Amino acid sequence: MFRRKGFGEDKKLGEMEFGKILVPVSGSEIDEEAIRLACRLAKKNKSKIYVVSVITVKRALPLDAEIEPEIQKAEDILDRMERVAEEQDYEVETVLLQAREVGPSLIDEARERGVGLILMGVKYKRRLGQFSLGSIVLYILKNAPCGVILYQQYTS
Amino acid sequence: MTSGWHIKPGDKVFRPRRIRRYHLRRVLGVAAVFSAGYGNVGSSISYALGIVSLAAVGATPLALGIAGILFVFTALTYAEGSAMFPEAGGSASFARHGFNDFVSFLSGWALMLSYVVTISISAFTIPPYLGYFWAPLKESPIIGTAVSIGIMLFLMMLNLIGIKGTSILNVWSAVIDLVTRILLVLVGFVLLFNPSLLWHRIVDHWPTAENLVLGIALASIAYTGIETASQMAEETRRPEKNVPRALVLMMIAVLAIFAGISIVSLLAVSPEQLASEWARDPVAGIAANIPMAVIANIFKPLIGILAGTILLIATNAGLIGISRLAFSLGQYNLMPSVLSRVHPKFKTPYFSIIIFTVIAIAILIPGFFAPDVFANIGALYAFGSLLAFMFSHAAIISLRIRKPELPRPFKLKGNIKIMGCELPVTAVLGLLSTFTVWIIISITQPFSSCVGFIWVAVGLVIYCLYRQKRRMPLLSVSKSAAK
Repeated sequence: MFRRKGFGEDKKLGEMEFGKILVPVSGSEIDEEAIRLACRLAKKNKSKIYVVSVITVKRALPLDAEIEPEIQKAEDILDRMERVAEEQDYEVETVLLQAREVGPSLIDEARERGVGLILMGVKYKRRLGQFSLGSIVLYILKNAPCGVILYQQYTS
Repeated sequence: MTSGWHIKPGDKVFRPRRIRRYHLRRVLGVAAVFSAGYGNVGSSISYALGIVSLAAVGATPLALGIAGILFVFTALTYAEGSAMFPEAGGSASFARHGFNDFVSFLSGWALMLSYVVTISISAFTIPPYLGYFWAPLKESPIIGTAVSIGIMLFLMMLNLIGIKGTSILNVWSAVIDLVTRILLVLVGFVLLFNPSLLWHRIVDHWPTAENLVLGIALASIAYTGIETASQMAEETRRPEKNVPRALVLMMIAVLAIFAGISIVSLLAVSPEQLASEWARDPVAGIAANIPMAVIANIFKPLIGILAGTILLIATNAGLIGISRLAFSLGQYNLMPSVLSRVHPKFKTPYFSIIIFTVIAIAILIPGFFAPDVFANIGALYAFGSLLAFMFSHAAIISLRIRKPELPRPFKLKGNIKIMGCELPVTAVLGLLSTFTVWIIISITQPFSSCVGFIWVAVGLVIYCLYRQKRRMPLLSVSKSAAK
């Protein structure tokens, strides 16, 4: 967990208050776990949860290009996340973004919506034999205007 | 959430698609738009100086200066248009809003010609700049043209796979290029300034009136990259403010650099040499003729690398620009949908990338045999760009007449009132001057006008057949423009 503006100095995770929570998703299993955790954190203060999926558009296409398979894939992911939240008896707002880069678009979204927390599921990845968080997670940790929680499932 | 209702076999569920209420995340600022625009306009000085000097000889700075006024008018028109409609398409987009689908297609098709030639001419001038490192790149037309084609094929492959979006490289190369050129101008003035030599080179090589007018017409190619900055509007944060700011900044930087470089070039190299030996790499010609060996030895490789890099970026920008434009025109039913086809794995418009690279390569084929192909490509570039600029000016004027109530975050000042309509003087002058220059190019440049008109004719056939197949009227106003 990384401490940022909005995080209490001496509060435990369960005691912290987040007005709005942003959960970026890419469709992996860990995203479902992140949604469950976000619902549990949000229930106490009836916080609003934004589940965000980003479609990245290559430079050779206009930003508003509608790439049908990509849109369908993102829609399916968001539908699945809505169902996960429903299982937790909580309602989330889903957001579909179209952007050139994932990191800056998520930071802009967080800023614009005034969220108090970004909660991300992180997959265990190795690059060149070393554990790697990936460029998007690092960008968010570096530029987030609010608190960030990274959730990683235990893998043996 | 737990209503107890479940989907039963035969039930039809309507769920509105999120994509209808999605957001486009715009993250670029003034610096990114400026660098993209400067990358294109600034790169053109790397070859425009040579082309203009072929016609205007001693009056090259004057020709570039007069064309610069035309550039100011056009940049201002684009500032108003891009702030109103921050979307892909540039002049084609303005024409769609200002007129109808047909004019939008014509404008977009002319713009496509301009992009194709940008790809060709930028790639064609990379090898001579790298000639410092290996002389045959500059001296052998076969090696030079083959390397240019190789560069285009490499960029085609890169764009087929898809380049991840980053503007940092563009920003840094634009900054380094700008600083180097300012330094070159300053060093040139300090070491070479000789008023009597300058005066003699201008007076002794003063062109005929006909050549001066042709020089001014050809000089317009130096400024034809404005469209790139306008295309960036769709991904710019607060485009209504940031795009006009970037365009004004670009205008100042480009005019200052062009004025300085064109004067220093006359001090460093004689107009005959500029038009022959250094025609394709005039900036390298300045660096090579700096009298102090120590400074010249620093500038020669530096100019070679920098000009090569910025021309490579301009080639790539042309390829990206044309594929985006083709996709955008396809979305508005102005082009066959095959050009908007996206590769299932790479998510790039592979068909348009391949087809337009092949056309750009075809334009360069004469480079293997004909030494004067360079000037012809330059005139073809001007033919396409000026046509697109004409439509832009006309669309902005038409919008002032037909839709005066539309919000204009950047409204051009200096308007004249005719029958209750506020018409921007700069757009009217821009329309008249671009039209005049386009007519001159069409009359005096048989190769470019022939290829240009064939391009327009082929486009018209494609458009008419496509619209007929889709059972759509030729002159209709698209729904999005009619909103």
